Amino acid sequence: MVDQPDVTEDIHILLVDDENDFRQIIAKRLKRRGIEVREADRGEKALQMLEDAPVDVVIMDVKMPGMDGIECLKQIKEKYDLLEVIMLTGHADIHGGVEGIKSGAFDYLSKPIELEHLVRKIKQAFHKIQRILAEKEARAFKEQVQQQMVVAERLVALGTMASGVAHEINNPLAVIQDSAGWLQQILEKPDMQGIPRRDDFNKGLERINKAVKRAGKITQQLLQAVKTQTTEMADPSTFVEVDLKKLSEEAITLVEPEAALKNIVIHLETKEPRLSAWTDSLQLLQVLLNLLSNSIQATEEGGRIIVRLNAAMEEAKIIVKDTGCGISKENISRIFEPFFTTKEADQGTGMGLYVSWGIITGLGGLISVESEVNKGTTFTITLPVKK
Amino acid sequence: MFKTTSKIMLVDDEKDFVEMLSLRLKENEENVIAAYNGQECLDTLEKIQVDVIILDVKMPGMDGIETLKQIKKRHPLVEVILLTGHGTIQSAVEGMKLGAFDFLLKPADFKELTEKLTKAKERRKEQMERIQKAEAAILLRQSKI
Ligand SMILES: Nc1ncnc2c1ncn2[C@@H]1O[C@H](COP(=O)(O)OP(=O)(O)O)[C@@H](O)[C@H]1O
Ligand SMILES: [Mg+2]
Repeated sequence: MVDQPDVTEDIHILLVDDENDFRQIIAKRLKRRGIEVREADRGEKALQMLEDAPVDVVIMDVKMPGMDGIECLKQIKEKYDLLEVIMLTGHADIHGGVEGIKSGAFDYLSKPIELEHLVRKIKQAFHKIQRILAEKEARAFKEQVQQQMVVAERLVALGTMASGVAHEINNPLAVIQDSAGWLQQILEKPDMQGIPRRDDFNKGLERINKAVKRAGKITQQLLQAVKTQTTEMADPSTFVEVDLKKLSEEAITLVEPEAALKNIVIHLETKEPRLSAWTDSLQLLQVLLNLLSNSIQATEEGGRIIVRLNAAMEEAKIIVKDTGCGISKENISRIFEPFFTTKEADQGTGMGLYVSWGIITGLGGLISVESEVNKGTTFTITLPVKK
Repeated sequence: MFKTTSKIMLVDDEKDFVEMLSLRLKENEENVIAAYNGQECLDTLEKIQVDVIILDVKMPGMDGIETLKQIKKRHPLVEVILLTGHGTIQSAVEGMKLGAFDFLLKPADFKELTEKLTKAKERRKEQMERIQKAEAAILLRQSKI
């Protein structure tokens, strides 16, 4: 990383000094270097201005009437932990400078100030801030990856267990189905037409059939989901170039009737004229349908759902964003589990996100979620663009 | 049209399943016998002429695929319909290559099953008739000499 590019354009500073002439001259010269400068003549005013709009670096005189520079520095550091402060001390006032550093200043300069020197210090302070930010981001990213790995491990374990159960359940299901079917066959015979309460028998048998069909669908989804994961990656030789815009439009068309019932509008947003990925279009479509139908179910009458496509370097992002009910903190770590649902028994199976997760992982991508209760939820799918 | 009196054999280790499906098929006036594992299936075939076999792929001991191989080796004209689980679709493909007539996912829809069964029986009948004609032709030729 070339970590000290010589740009000053993005640096915002606040210059605090009670000596108007001195302050204005320095401000003018700094601005000429392309630095954004705002000015304050007192510590109290400086604090107020920071509240309104934060800056990167504060340059501040130690000696000021009212709140002095050291006190102001302490308050700034307490409130803005990323902000750096450079103290200006009177000629030969070493004491003020040392005091400043003890209280968290980045450095100090003695007046008279040499401008080159000041600019250099500002850049150093700015780079320190950027480095800390970058480290923070890296840490957050690492944490996220680790968390995803933990989730992935748990999902695989759960999936293995669940698929074993599904296999075992399929046989008794077949027996139940055929037992009910057998009784229905008998009821259909001519000599059975006149038996008492014939309709009740039929009704009960109908229910059994319906329930068995539903259970069968669940085991089928489960086995399919586990299969897509355990074959590790989907077979890349079956991948084709998929136009993500077209695919998204297709998905939206398919769920539109469901959305229309609640007056929900779904928008497709993208700046890219064309965005494609090498992947399996049917599987990806299934994931989009799952995400969209979840969003529709979570969104109030008249709400909005956005599907956004972004391109970055070697990745394509598909973002499904809704303004629905959101997901609580305790639920969000569990939504990708098989069978996890907060919906009524006949509304949700809890398999949608589990299947989606399996598919996306199998396609070599990532799926992640961000949500705030009562504000909305955003699912992001990241797919490699190249083969 | 009257029902042909084809003989059907059901092969599955799950007794309840075999029993229920037999009952349903019998209700449709099919002539059904049962076997509860691959070996039993092969042994029965030595004694009785069977037209169509409905065979489960997942069985302990000799599995459905191995049983299918043996059936086709000894009785190539018997039609076999495979029953497979959702996770074992590959074995269905393998079974088709080995000469199975068709396959069904378990739990199978009964209507679908009876449709496939009817087709399998028809093909079996055609094959048998063709052989009978061929044999008759041979006999005819021999008697002329
Ligand atoms: N867009 C969303 N907004 C709010 N909650 C959601 C959203 N998507 C998923 N969820 C939560 O995650 C759970 C699991 O979703 P899913 O796996 O699709 O199963 P199902 O939809 O059958 O419940 C849902 O029951 C719901 O609580
Ligand atoms: Mg769902």
